Amino acid sequence: MSANAIIFDQVTKNFGTVHAVDKVSLTFPRGALVTLLGPSGCGKTTTLRLIAGLELPNAGSIMIEGRDVTRLAAAERRIAMVFQSYALFPHMNVLENVAYGLVVQGARKASAEADAIAMLNTLGLEGLGQRLPSELSGGQQQRVAVARALVLRPQVLLFDEPLSNLDARLRRQVREDIRDLQKRLGLTVVYVTHDQQEALAVSDLVCVMRAGKIAQMGTPREVYDEPADAFIADFMGEANVLEGEVLGPGRILLAGVALETRLRPQPPGAALFAIRPEAVSLHGEGEGLPGQIKRAAFLGQTHEYEVATPAGQIFIVAPAGAPVFAPGDEVRCRVERAIALRQVGQ
Amino acid sequence: MKKGMIGAALGLAMTALLPMAAKAQGNLSVYCSVQEEWCRPMMAAFERATGVSVAMTRRSSGETLTQIRAESQNPRGDVWWGGTGDPHMQAAQENLTVEYRSPMLEQLQPWAVRQAEQTGFRTVGIYAGALGYSYNAPELQRRRIAAPRCWADLAKPEFRGEVQVADPNTSGTAYTMLATLVQIMGEDPAFQFLRALHRNVNQYTRSGAAPARAAATGETLVGITFLHDAVAQKVTGAPVELVGPCEGTGYEIGSMSIIRGARNMANARRFFDWALTAEAQALAADAKAYQLPSNRNAPIPPQAPRFENVPLIDYDFARWGSAEERTRLIERWQREVRAGAR
Amino acid sequence: MGALRLARLALLCAALGLLLPWHGLEDGFKELRAWPLGDAAPLPILLGTGIRWWLWLLPCLLLLGAGAALGKRANSVLLLLAGGGMIFWVFLMGEAIGLRGLEWQWLGPWLGDAPPQPSLGWGALFLLIGATGFLAAGFAAQGGFRGDAFIAFLVIGSGFLLLLFVFAPLTTILLAAVYEGKAFAPSALIARLSAPEAWSLACLSTHQGCGVVWNTLLLATLTAAISTAIGLFFALLAVRGGMRAGPLFRAMTLLPLITPPFVVAMALIVLFGRTGIVTTLLWEWFAIPRSRWIYGLPGVLLAQVLAQAPIAFLLLDGALRAISPSLEEASSTMGARRFTVFRTVTWPLLRPALAAAFLLGFVESLADFGNPLVLGGDFDVLSTRIFFAIAGARHDPGRAAALALLLLFLTFGAFALQALWLGKRRYTTVTGKGDSGLPAPLPKGLKFTAAAVVWPWIIFTAVVYGIILVGGFVHDIGRGDMSFTWRHLITAFEVEWQDGVALRGSAWDSLLTTLEVAAISAPLTAGLGILLAWLIARQEFRGRRLLEFMTMLSFAIPGTVVGVSYIMAFNVPPVELTGTALILILCFVFRNLPVGVRGGIAALAQIDRSLDEASATMGASAVQTLRRVVLPLMRPAIITALAFSFVHAMTAVSAVIFLVSARHNLATVYIVGRVEAGEMALAIAYSTALILIMLAVVLGIEKFVGRAEIARRAGGAPPPTATRAGA
Repeated sequence: MSANAIIFDQVTKNFGTVHAVDKVSLTFPRGALVTLLGPSGCGKTTTLRLIAGLELPNAGSIMIEGRDVTRLAAAERRIAMVFQSYALFPHMNVLENVAYGLVVQGARKASAEADAIAMLNTLGLEGLGQRLPSELSGGQQQRVAVARALVLRPQVLLFDEPLSNLDARLRRQVREDIRDLQKRLGLTVVYVTHDQQEALAVSDLVCVMRAGKIAQMGTPREVYDEPADAFIADFMGEANVLEGEVLGPGRILLAGVALETRLRPQPPGAALFAIRPEAVSLHGEGEGLPGQIKRAAFLGQTHEYEVATPAGQIFIVAPAGAPVFAPGDEVRCRVERAIALRQVGQ
Repeated sequence: MKKGMIGAALGLAMTALLPMAAKAQGNLSVYCSVQEEWCRPMMAAFERATGVSVAMTRRSSGETLTQIRAESQNPRGDVWWGGTGDPHMQAAQENLTVEYRSPMLEQLQPWAVRQAEQTGFRTVGIYAGALGYSYNAPELQRRRIAAPRCWADLAKPEFRGEVQVADPNTSGTAYTMLATLVQIMGEDPAFQFLRALHRNVNQYTRSGAAPARAAATGETLVGITFLHDAVAQKVTGAPVELVGPCEGTGYEIGSMSIIRGARNMANARRFFDWALTAEAQALAADAKAYQLPSNRNAPIPPQAPRFENVPLIDYDFARWGSAEERTRLIERWQREVRAGAR
Repeated sequence: MGALRLARLALLCAALGLLLPWHGLEDGFKELRAWPLGDAAPLPILLGTGIRWWLWLLPCLLLLGAGAALGKRANSVLLLLAGGGMIFWVFLMGEAIGLRGLEWQWLGPWLGDAPPQPSLGWGALFLLIGATGFLAAGFAAQGGFRGDAFIAFLVIGSGFLLLLFVFAPLTTILLAAVYEGKAFAPSALIARLSAPEAWSLACLSTHQGCGVVWNTLLLATLTAAISTAIGLFFALLAVRGGMRAGPLFRAMTLLPLITPPFVVAMALIVLFGRTGIVTTLLWEWFAIPRSRWIYGLPGVLLAQVLAQAPIAFLLLDGALRAISPSLEEASSTMGARRFTVFRTVTWPLLRPALAAAFLLGFVESLADFGNPLVLGGDFDVLSTRIFFAIAGARHDPGRAAALALLLLFLTFGAFALQALWLGKRRYTTVTGKGDSGLPAPLPKGLKFTAAAVVWPWIIFTAVVYGIILVGGFVHDIGRGDMSFTWRHLITAFEVEWQDGVALRGSAWDSLLTTLEVAAISAPLTAGLGILLAWLIARQEFRGRRLLEFMTMLSFAIPGTVVGVSYIMAFNVPPVELTGTALILILCFVFRNLPVGVRGGIAALAQIDRSLDEASATMGASAVQTLRRVVLPLMRPAIITALAFSFVHAMTAVSAVIFLVSARHNLATVYIVGRVEAGEMALAIAYSTALILIMLAVVLGIEKFVGRAEIARRAGGAPPPTATRAGA
């Protein structure tokens, strides 16, 4: 028995002429929270729905916990899903909503309700059983949706952009809650979002998708610090993409200026560098790439600068304590850390 | 879905029950082609007299002929009672009705028996009525128009838009008028007259008796109908005067036939016999129907126009009741008269 | 439900069919007593006695199906063969051998001399249901319908029903157009389609009448234009006129829904006929000569506009409300004056709704039968011409069919135009997203014009309906005799207390039949309609578009055509229904089906798909989802569909005037008869009773559901339900 809860093998899903999911093969380890991340249209939601059984693949196979579910409808798979809109049944109260899955699968009403009440208590929703969904707050509704999914003891729990309907303050709290719950129960979770911050915060593994294919899959750190190409680098956080040259270990050349920087070992030669905005420090004089401040903005916790340099326009985020500059100032940019994407010409 | 299923179950259950609440004496389906007020009491009386449950549909004679034709493969009616004779004779000719020599035949007037003989006993006369027209007297007086006496008067310009008659496509009354005029004037002159008359007609009604009522209310000045229809209006107090046209006029013999393939043949015959009795025919007067009954012993309502008082022509039922002549005349009328200018 | 389980259920059903009487029964219980011999013989007896030897194929196919059903895995090929084969064979043999023996003479050499075969009955019905089950199981076993056999059964079953009761009659009538007597004559079709009675333009140059097609087009265009204009004025006043007239207008929109077909025409005659009240007044006061102007185009137009204007109002009212006021506010902040705002912002946004109202009025006029019949005079339209081609003395089904083709062509043309023009554009119905702006007041001139049209129209409508209310209770409103009397009501509804209740009044028969038929057909219509809506909107399968098309087909076919096609198709075996109440019920169900379907689709659009999907991910089958989640949320739509279907069934005339029989007469047809005979008062009294009944039903339902928006035939504004899912 493999340690993988879900295995995709060359799965393809087409809508008309569009390849929403294009020969995708990937594995989801048991007990891990894997996030599908990417811009809209990349295929992440389709992949989620393929796991759920709400779409059936045109080609390839899907295995869930060792069982071939490729041709099975959603009702026959042991999965549960929390929808973006929560999809709580408006004509049933909270208790009936949570007990729904059990009742539909044949449990007797009394035992189903008992299980439902237990789950509501677990999620901090005591006493809300008789309320209607419309009488609950956004956060509470979301928890009811989760309770409803969990009470079925699914093999896989799916989340479709669960935080997008919540206001910003609530988002952090809820995402922590989801992560805690997942770790506590050892659930296999597949999580879809377009927000890379969210993805980095909650995931064991991040799977970046683009145009129906997997661009990169790895731990959050791997994907952030070692993006496979410029697209991923830019998607995972702002990245300044500049052409230059690797001179040797820790030494790069940008626009004719040699710079000391931290860099993973690379063979010398032409290269494309992704440089994070927070990985550049600004100084009035001394070493570094010369440049002039074009725009400056004060954001409370950070300062943001746009600096024109011979290597191109660079976007820089400086922490609160750093020296402050104004537009027009001449500065020196020191690159603390650079990511080599690929050798130019490769 | 639940509602739908319950509804469906109900529906199926009811349709199983709907067809019959079969009474002890059986059923009878009658197509009645006289006015409703006469149909109803007749059927009720038959039900009371015999215990047979009667289902009646009232339709004009032309429409009934059509229905019998349409249903010929699978007839739903048993007896066709009433309505002017021509459609009955046509049905007989098309073999849509069956022969039956009722024992009551010997009690009938000669004209009734003659009709039975002409159709091979497939139909029999039950009443007769003369054709004519009625006019609204006060309105005529107010307009200072001379009282009309003849057919020709109706084509005069002072009656422009003031004449109403039925459409021969749907009404036997109107066809009788057609045939009558053809027999009086000759075919081509008759059509010439009809074209002239057409200019004065304000509406061709569907039912044969409607023009009488229109004349009674003043909707129209003159209504061409059978005289008994006009009498029915007059007895309720309508200010109409009746005219049996001076050139001569035709008459109808209302008929009864048994439909070929009737599902309740025995009861159909019972009805046939019963309808020819004097008692049954006496119901007409109560129903305000003023035709002449065919049973010699049946009482004649005092208001009924007698044949002695009206200039009748020798109407050739055999010829003008035939399908070919009928179709030909009506088509010619449709083409030359109806489509003409007003 | 798995394919195998359905196959076994189907086997059970088919086995039941073998026990029940195979052929249709005439007298019900009497014949049943002779079972299993005689007329009520089930299929095995018929085969055993050798009477129906050509039906031997059926048990063979049934065995095939049984083998497939009782096996371990569903063998889809066998199931498909068994199911499809049985259905095909039953109907083939039903057509080939009829009441008079062999119908298809060319089969003579093989079949020899076949005895007459009556129509199909209960036994055949159950066998066919079982066969459908086999067919559905076969498809599901092959993977169609996502493997859900029950869905397959529902789809295929409803498809067959539609084929049989919508498509087949239509084909029958179309075929009749190509036949002359018994001979196949396509040239006759051409001749009929281009006949001068249809297309002549003589009226332009002479006093002769024009071709009936031109008449129909003229009337329809005028009705559509005028009713849309009046509806627009009403809407403008209601939404922007700053008056509190909303409830009054809304009450008016109920009227055409509950008015039986001839009532308005009769009231118009009473008012404006040769001896009408208004005519007499005008004559006495102003010496205006009395004329028959009401008979013909003016009268029919007036009646149709009276009926159609409230519908146009409903449509335009909804559209006006949906125009966000902030658009107009923006325009006026940019300096436009009131009239310019109206012309440049409001009017263009209204155009789709105006087009919709126009087309709706057009199509309604095409299908209208009652008004032209009573008020038409010499002005003939297609619907009445078709009627007379069947019911008149010159009975000519070929001609009727050709005219029906022309009418169909016009109707489809209008729908095609609508789909083309409006198909993509949706004039949005706002679902409570508060757009806090004040609607711009109307330009003064427009407001004045609107008021000048609206208020007289309201008074006129009130007078017309006043006549209707009064007419039943006075002696003879036609002759101006206004003395109060119960006479007409008594004639119609007399009840005698004598050994229990005896219903002596002449109207009871038809009223009871009408109520019964309407009450039975309404739940069937609503149920089947909602089911179809759900299948079309929420399920995915091949042939979904076809199912939708067939459903909507009956919407486009005018009533007279339906009626004629039903008698042509169902007067003889294999499916023989004329003269029964069943044919009336079926006619109503399939004619009003699109109402339920459209209402259902609109209601489903309000229910977020994620609810269905959530239910599915929790293990519910499609049917469980339907029962527990979708249907409860559609309750308002269901109830509206019920009310609708009931009322439509009560007021239908054009289709059923051919289908009534001695035993099963309908109120509307009875009323026609009275009008024909000139008994206005009785007809009006009866109509008043009908109106009161329908009003009671509709108001009762409205109370029950809350504020249900009932839009006739427009499939219009979806009921406002609180179905915003979850968050």
